[in-house]
Amino acid sequence: MKKILLMVPFLLALTACMTNPDGTKMKVSDEETKLEVYNRAMFNFNYQADKLVLKPIAKGYKAVTTQGIRNRVTSFFNNLEEPAYAINDLLQGKVKNSGKAVARFAINSTLGLLGTFDVAAGWGIEKKKNSFDATMAMYCTPDGPFFVMPIIGPSTPRYLVGWSVDSIADPMYWALLDNEDEDWGVALSFVATGLEHINKRAENLEMLDGLEASSVDFYATVKSAFLQNRRKFESLCATQNEQGEVAASYDFDFENDED
Amino acid sequence: MKKIITLILGLSFVIASQAKALDSAEAENFIKQVTTQGIEEIINSNVSIKEKDARFEKLFNEYLDLDYIGKFVLGRYWKTATAKQREAFISVYREFNVKTWSKRFDEFKGKKFEFDGTTPSTSEGQIFVNTSVKMKEGAPAKVVWRVKDGKPLKIVDIIIENVSLAITARNEYTAYIKKAPNGVDDLIEDLRQKAK
Repeated sequence: MKKILLMVPFLLALTACMTNPDGTKMKVSDEETKLEVYNRAMFNFNYQADKLVLKPIAKGYKAVTTQGIRNRVTSFFNNLEEPAYAINDLLQGKVKNSGKAVARFAINSTLGLLGTFDVAAGWGIEKKKNSFDATMAMYCTPDGPFFVMPIIGPSTPRYLVGWSVDSIADPMYWALLDNEDEDWGVALSFVATGLEHINKRAENLEMLDGLEASSVDFYATVKSAFLQNRRKFESLCATQNEQGEVAASYDFDFENDED
Repeated sequence: MKKIITLILGLSFVIASQAKALDSAEAENFIKQVTTQGIEEIINSNVSIKEKDARFEKLFNEYLDLDYIGKFVLGRYWKTATAKQREAFISVYREFNVKTWSKRFDEFKGKKFEFDGTTPSTSEGQIFVNTSVKMKEGAPAKVVWRVKDGKPLKIVDIIIENVSLAITARNEYTAYIKKAPNGVDDLIEDLRQKAK
């Protein structure tokens, strides 16, 4: 029952958003798939939720914090991702990188005051991101279609699986799992997740506003940028199977019509 | 006979790779010139905003091939557009880009581009110049410039962190036209409003 109740706002959003922002009915041509209609509706829903909730909070947060504080917060949450980098490095056979991620996590969690400072980078052990998404890509797992998740936003099936698997490697997840029956445990998990997203949103305020101001179809812009950024994973699969030079992931034929 | 063929093939390879090497150095120098000029003569200069905008517009028109990019971003709708629509679109697209980019250009204040060589392209006569910019926090941002051969050389795309501005605009505009009741004309009008 609870689940069905949770679905209601999404379904409402879905029907409410099948109109253009100016109130006219959306023109859906035959080739425009149902998925695209759903995606646009969910995108609009997320956009409104951001505008009404997350963005104002992020603005307030930015007003009461300094860049220094926000950098410490970013650094703290980044440090918690290092175990996931280490595991994925191993799964991809990058033993050296894995060792570096372990060293970074050990150094920054202690000398770096719970990861709020990146001491290891100062010593020349630079951060090297990795993800289960990349691991799956390396074993040539298909990405699947683009779809917009409620609240989470732009996504693909492989992206979502990778994201979920990586979050199991997050030390915060384990710390809170031990205390999931305690009220403070639950409260802390909400606070931590909230802070992470507010901080991230605060750091992206200008960039996203700029992107929106310069676009005539914000959904199409975000979808395009999200998928292009994922093209870097394609070469991971190719390097395993093919010999020789792999074309840059952003290369495309400028003369020919793609679509 | 076999030896001669090998020799000719070998020679042509040497010549071709030499031509390529020249080309990449030329392209890299070209981008060095553009970025230095942009940062030193516009962002870091002590002139009025009006003068800055004017200088930016000049730089933009001089180094970017907007006719070429404009044609690309309209995608398949370029073929069906009338001559008048094409002309109106290129003109408004130019205005719109100058406007939005002169606003965002200040983000590069005090920044410096590091050059990381070039990458060949599958398109003939084009090459990628790889650069990176140090950010306040974290890894440097990767900025790649797509340069088209010719006299003079021109920039036809800028790829920031794997996202191509040309492809993004093309995906956006073709999606927009597909939904808009009056197609290309609506897009031209919308861009005109945004360029104001």
